[in-house]
Amino acid sequence: MEHVDHILIVDDDREIRELVGNYLKKNGLRTTVVADGRQMRTFLESTPVDLIVMDIMMPGDDGLTLCRELRSGKHKATPILMLTARNDETDRIIGLEMGADDYLVKPFAARELLARINAVLRRTRMLPPNLVVTETSRLLAFGRWKLDTSARHLLDSDGTMVALSGAEYRLLRVFLDHPQRVLNRDQLLNLTQGRDADLFDRSIDLLVSRLRQRLLDDAREPAYIKTVRSEGYVFSLPVEIVGAPA
Amino acid sequence: MNYSLRWPRTLASRLSLIFLICLILAQALSFGAQYYERYESAKNTMLGNLETDVSTSIAILDRLPADERASWLHQLQRNNYGYLLSAGERGTPMSMEMPDAPIAMASIMDALGKEHALTFTEIPGPRKHFQVHLKLSDGNPLTIDVFPAMMPLSPWLPMVLLGQLALMIACTWLAVRIAIRPLTRLVEAVDNLDPNAHPIQLDEKGPTEVAHAAKAFNAMQARIAAYLKERMQLLAAISHDLQTPITRMKLRAEFMDDSAEKDKLWNDLSEIEHLVREGVAYARSVHGATEDSRRTDLDSFLDSLVFDYQDMGKQVQLSGKSTTVIDTRPHALRRVLVNLTDNALKFAGAAELLVEKKTDGSVSVKVMDRGPGIAEEELAQVMQPFYRVENSRNRSTGGTGLGLAIAQQLALAIGGSLTLSNREGGGLCAELKLKHPL
Repeated sequence: MEHVDHILIVDDDREIRELVGNYLKKNGLRTTVVADGRQMRTFLESTPVDLIVMDIMMPGDDGLTLCRELRSGKHKATPILMLTARNDETDRIIGLEMGADDYLVKPFAARELLARINAVLRRTRMLPPNLVVTETSRLLAFGRWKLDTSARHLLDSDGTMVALSGAEYRLLRVFLDHPQRVLNRDQLLNLTQGRDADLFDRSIDLLVSRLRQRLLDDAREPAYIKTVRSEGYVFSLPVEIVGAPA
Repeated sequence: MNYSLRWPRTLASRLSLIFLICLILAQALSFGAQYYERYESAKNTMLGNLETDVSTSIAILDRLPADERASWLHQLQRNNYGYLLSAGERGTPMSMEMPDAPIAMASIMDALGKEHALTFTEIPGPRKHFQVHLKLSDGNPLTIDVFPAMMPLSPWLPMVLLGQLALMIACTWLAVRIAIRPLTRLVEAVDNLDPNAHPIQLDEKGPTEVAHAAKAFNAMQARIAAYLKERMQLLAAISHDLQTPITRMKLRAEFMDDSAEKDKLWNDLSEIEHLVREGVAYARSVHGATEDSRRTDLDSFLDSLVFDYQDMGKQVQLSGKSTTVIDTRPHALRRVLVNLTDNALKFAGAAELLVEKKTDGSVSVKVMDRGPGIAEEELAQVMQPFYRVENSRNRSTGGTGLGLAIAQQLALAIGGSLTLSNREGGGLCAELKLKHPL
């Protein structure tokens, strides 16, 4: 029998969780809905799930607290998708910092939620990352750079912020999650296409060359991202997780 | 030549002027009164002395034998007058009725007039000088040579006056400074009043009036902050409570069969959602910063922004290079540029970004389009919240009328300025100027 992904939905609004549950069920997923953290814990005791969709603003334990709790317990590998009512960039970042894999701002469209769920599942299944980034250690250090995984930008050696476009960040993150491992163009495309389908007719090659420029990497003799002829690309430096700056 | 006296502009100079003029007048008055009093008493004493002295001297000379007189002249010589054993010099005759007749004349007349026939002549010269001619009893002529003058002023008196003047100026300066300082502080505080930042409490000490003003100012500051907070909370509460029903409605709409009605409902919901979001964003932009400044590489910042648009298939181009690192709040800066670029895309379908480093070290980022532009008279108003241009940019094109207001607020919050202008050849140019970087 084919595996059907089981999604757990945690939201204090009964109508929303049921509407979401029904929509996902209609689209071929198995769903369970619970109202708060207590029910979530009870349910997870008996049944493992493939992904948790969680509202950030809930009475009792809020989404961030629950997310942190999950990440430090036995469910640390379960992907989490946050639903947030807030619309401030700094708040979104906190959500990611607390260990969510993705987030969606309310009000959202159910079909977008479905697309995100599928993307997160695909991403975590295909190549589980070597390194688990947590809220306290969210900087990935490589060469002379550091990548801030919550603010999604690079820091150079004297702490100046070097911004990345969405696609650049995702591609770099894929490389950093799988360092010293050859990735072909299909894998890269799949892993990079996280959120919106925004890799609109842009090839991975173009994106790689943009990223090299951003890293001040010489395209003829790249130090970071090396081309492997007829196979793809490899991130050639070791990557380590370092503590967040104070 | 026409110099009109102008009332000085600053309170400090006005106060100083008033103080100084009053002090000098008062000082002059008291000095004048004293001087007059001294003059009168000195004059009376001197004239009294003159009368007795002159009559005594003449009596002595009169009784001396003619050949001994010359040897006495030296002893009878005084500061202002002396005696000559001759008919004296020629001069213009004087009479007692002359308006400027020296008072010494009257005194001499009083002293000698009864016994001798006197004639007075004025000797012209730089000093006032007159002579009195008479005949002694033996018929020999005698002349009293008079240089009328008051007792000279002491040479140190001008120095004392200058010292007093300096003291007055110093006191005025000090008094005005003390009086003005709290006012200056208040002005500074009002100037720097930023309800978004932590309020700077004025020192509530000092003289009663100053303490009152400071208290009133602090209270006003607190009130403004409270109003802003309240507005912010209100907007946030409304938007939060609206988000749940909108989410439900959107989810329900997705269960409906595809139809024109569903699309319309969907669009309406999206519009409400957008308004709610922009409302909160505006409130936040006014309420200010939760974000910290950080050193940001401007070129990569703009690159990433433009690439994000290009990756979504939008016509956004970047030209120019700044090669600068600026100290800024990246989310706020991004929001400003995103709002401007979205506007350009909405009205022109394409946006061009141009970054330039100015010679004074400031950086300018222009977001330009070839859309319909904005009528000159409306350029200033479009930055007002909820303002929409009537013709081209109206409700049918969507939008909340908050995009530019948010951009403007945030531009100010990051220490920049935002100006709109119409381009030559049509279209709008929004220029964000960022002050001197690191």
